[in-house]
Amino acid sequence: MKRQRWGVVVAVTLALCLGLIVGPAMAADEFKIGVITSLSGDLATGGSVTKRGYDLWAKAVNAAGGIEIKGKKYPVRLVYGDDQSQPAQAASAAERLAAQEKVDAVLGPYASGTTIAAAPVLEKYKVPMITGSAESPLIWKQKFRYTFGTIPPVNFTGSAVIKVLAALPQGPKTAVIYGTNDTFSKATAEAFQATAEQVGIKVLRFNILPPKQDMTPLMSAAKVLNPDLIAFGGHDEELVNLVKVLTQINFTPKALLMHYGVTEPAFAQALGKNANQVLGASVWTSSIQTKGSIGWPTAKAYYDSAVAEYPKDPPDYTQAASTAAGLVFQAALTQLGAAPPLDEASRTKLVEILEKLDVQTFYGRVKFATEGDYYHSNAGLTPLMVQILDGKEAVVAPPESAQAKLVYPLTPWDKR
Amino acid sequence: MRGRPAWMWILLVIAAVGAVPAVMTDPFFLRLFTEALMWIGLAITWDVMAGYTGYLNFGHGVFFGVGAYTAALLIIRAGMPFGLAAALGGLVAGVVALVSGWPTLRLRGAYFAIGTWALNRAVGQLALVLEITGGPDGMRLPPFLRPQFFAWVMLAVVGATFLALWLLLEQAPFGLKLKAIREDESGSLAIGLNPARLKLQAFVLSAVPAGIIGGVYAYWITFIDPSSTLGDLITDQAVVMAIFGGLGTLIGPVIGAIVFFAFKTYFWAYLSDYQVLYLIILGLAIAATVFFLPDGFWGAVTNRLEGRRALRKGLSLGEAAGT
Amino acid sequence: MLALLPQAIVDGVLLGGIYLTVAMGFSLAYGVLHVIDFAVGEWIMLGAFAGLAFTEWTHLDPLLSLPAIFVVFAAVGWMLQPLLQRVLSGSRGRPVLMALVFTFGLALAIRGSALTIFGIFTHSLNTALSQGSWHVSRGSFFLTVPFIRLAGLVYALAVIAVLNYLLKRTDFGLAVRAVAQHKEAAGLMGVDIRRTSAAVYGLYVGTSAMTGVFIGAIVSLNASMGPDLSLFAFFVVVLAGMGYLAGAPWAAFLLGLIQSFFLIYFNPSYVLLALFTILYLILLISPTGMFRRGV
Repeated sequence: MKRQRWGVVVAVTLALCLGLIVGPAMAADEFKIGVITSLSGDLATGGSVTKRGYDLWAKAVNAAGGIEIKGKKYPVRLVYGDDQSQPAQAASAAERLAAQEKVDAVLGPYASGTTIAAAPVLEKYKVPMITGSAESPLIWKQKFRYTFGTIPPVNFTGSAVIKVLAALPQGPKTAVIYGTNDTFSKATAEAFQATAEQVGIKVLRFNILPPKQDMTPLMSAAKVLNPDLIAFGGHDEELVNLVKVLTQINFTPKALLMHYGVTEPAFAQALGKNANQVLGASVWTSSIQTKGSIGWPTAKAYYDSAVAEYPKDPPDYTQAASTAAGLVFQAALTQLGAAPPLDEASRTKLVEILEKLDVQTFYGRVKFATEGDYYHSNAGLTPLMVQILDGKEAVVAPPESAQAKLVYPLTPWDKR
Repeated sequence: MRGRPAWMWILLVIAAVGAVPAVMTDPFFLRLFTEALMWIGLAITWDVMAGYTGYLNFGHGVFFGVGAYTAALLIIRAGMPFGLAAALGGLVAGVVALVSGWPTLRLRGAYFAIGTWALNRAVGQLALVLEITGGPDGMRLPPFLRPQFFAWVMLAVVGATFLALWLLLEQAPFGLKLKAIREDESGSLAIGLNPARLKLQAFVLSAVPAGIIGGVYAYWITFIDPSSTLGDLITDQAVVMAIFGGLGTLIGPVIGAIVFFAFKTYFWAYLSDYQVLYLIILGLAIAATVFFLPDGFWGAVTNRLEGRRALRKGLSLGEAAGT
Repeated sequence: MLALLPQAIVDGVLLGGIYLTVAMGFSLAYGVLHVIDFAVGEWIMLGAFAGLAFTEWTHLDPLLSLPAIFVVFAAVGWMLQPLLQRVLSGSRGRPVLMALVFTFGLALAIRGSALTIFGIFTHSLNTALSQGSWHVSRGSFFLTVPFIRLAGLVYALAVIAVLNYLLKRTDFGLAVRAVAQHKEAAGLMGVDIRRTSAAVYGLYVGTSAMTGVFIGAIVSLNASMGPDLSLFAFFVVVLAGMGYLAGAPWAAFLLGLIQSFFLIYFNPSYVLLALFTILYLILLISPTGMFRRGV
């Protein structure tokens, strides 16, 4: 009896060892791409946007059979790691995807904090990551070698829209600027302020507020100052609240500028006619004229695909940027020409290819900066200014992408 | 248990657990191992105030956060080595407990719970507005990514904490004195105890290990910000784990932490499609535990054991429990 | 800046009105049943969504839904209370703590369900009062009072007045106060404790749900709005003294005024820090609430 039991033990041990030896050397039939994003927790809203973007890419590339390497097509399999909107979980997910699942690359998180926590782990395992979302300039300041982003940081896009406003005839001369105290919103508000001062708009008030702060007293004070422009960096709930406060105290500035969240359908739905003429910054809408050399040929084609798959969630720029991240990997992997699973040397080579890549997609141009403040983020994109008109977002600047004329000044609330 | 004293058994268990990171070297497993230990530490320290002393600290996470930020500041700005920084993190957390405890412990019951919650939120706001803490951007520590190292460090910290708490609360009269306060605070004066001093000692005792754990966390995860270290989530989960396990004991929260963390991880790793159901299941599980097992899992087990022993020996339950 | 003073006061009082709506039912529930209901924010959230559903089905003004919402949610509270009672009267464990954790679990379950069913986006309730405001400016004096916020304040004061009448002038109120003071003695005097407790809890859930409609109209609503509301309910009630309903308006106005003044005259970044610090300090000076009438 005892000998039999020992026999089993030895056999199992040998089998395991064999597995360990044989495992890594075995070729795979697919590319394993990890996805770290907020599928739960406070940031699940945004995380689900990135998930849709990544899923759309995987579906499309697999519909064509996969990524072609040396004449053979390798489908893509996404392996998810929920960061639960927490940095510790992001690091954990990164470790699991890199060490256990041995993914070839990672599509990155929605938020900046989680990206900063996951990045060092992926540096250790030398797994390249592209995030289709995180927009804080903080990430790029860390100069992670293996992390890239398809959206330029918020100080890049935020400053562009202020410049458009300043250039208008009878444009705003005074401004009141607020921002919520979280990484993204604070950076947005600071970008607004810095650019405003640069272009000669007098900033009468600037402050960073606690999240979800009731802004009535602040807007009452602003009404007395009567600024031409009110600019605000915050998240969807706070954006809706701000517009409601302004309608309640009946103060209409000449321009109301916000950022991410304006373009979500929920914003226009919640506010009805009061959402009209609100301005926002963006890097992509479905109506811009782009030509994709890989994947979808135009922005409209992507839009149609996206709503066919997710009819209740029309794509915004974060979703588009996430899909673009997948396309960038696709282009880079094709150029690399190595079959999966990728070893460390191949992955490092992939990073070099990513740094040199310059590709046109339905999302726009993707070219990562290789030095300076915007290191490894997509500084090759043109920021857009959007305005809500008739309950829908429309591009109003720059002129080559504009689909409607910018309405300025705002129609007073009580005259709508 | 006859023969060896309890503390030897505890050391043996710690040593046995310590062998695990030497054998199972998969980095992801080691992360889970380290995190489970972290939660054990947070749950047992919370229990010192809640279970033994009868004071619900709904801001327990503030000690963790203060420890994390202290260690981060010392490592980044003063170039201090990690071990010293984490230790000082615990010290600063202890000082915070001392200073805030003296006035706060005058509050009773719900007032104390909400007062400590307010304190936690206030410190969170402080971290959010100060420049030196990086505000909402948080702080990034130099990466030292060695899973085994952190597994052993966390084990050492939590193991030492458990041992210390065992000696102080289960062996020494200190634990009984705290329980006397829990049962009848004004009455305890009559038997010659000094509740104000004892409560403060318990408060500091619950804070220092939590602070050290926070310091270790900062260096381990390499990134801290106000919402992850000074938010409600740390306290909420520690509370749930301690209650699941059973208050007023040390083993209860340990079991609660392990079970809860295992459930959470399993759900997260393999059922992420249903992550949104996690909240619902968690909430119902908590409500059900309170309803059916008010003494927690360990409490229910010990109650049954006492009951059985009483039946076998024809004792009353009181006699069987040894009180 | 003195010109802004009247506006600062009015904004503070109106903000306090919102806090009062959130806290008043909760204060009643604690004073009588001695239960800290962590789910107060979730009841408010559910009421807000009920208002939204009402508007979407009937295309009527959400404020018209208030009576129906009260009745429905009061019934829910009435039926739920015996469950809570069982937890509170557990022979083992610590009742206060257990009730707290029970309602905490309940709150999580409700929030999770709401997120699953209603999704993550923010909505808004539009009423006839949503956009109007009363505006006066005479020389350097000016004041704007938004109608909907004023309505919130009026609602809060009306509910407090009704509750006060119920408690002081009716037999039912007498029974409630007896249960609050000494449950066993009240039972001995012939009060039906179970029915009285269930009624109080029903009142609390019903008013909280109605509050949800106002919050949805004044600010906005989404499935995660619960915890922040619960926090403010706790703060108001603890500041007022738990169970001391008459203290609630003062505490609510104080919190609203502190915020308003801080936002207008100091650095807004520190407003919450100031608020929590002041709350903490008041508690330390007066551990049973600012009127020292708390239980």
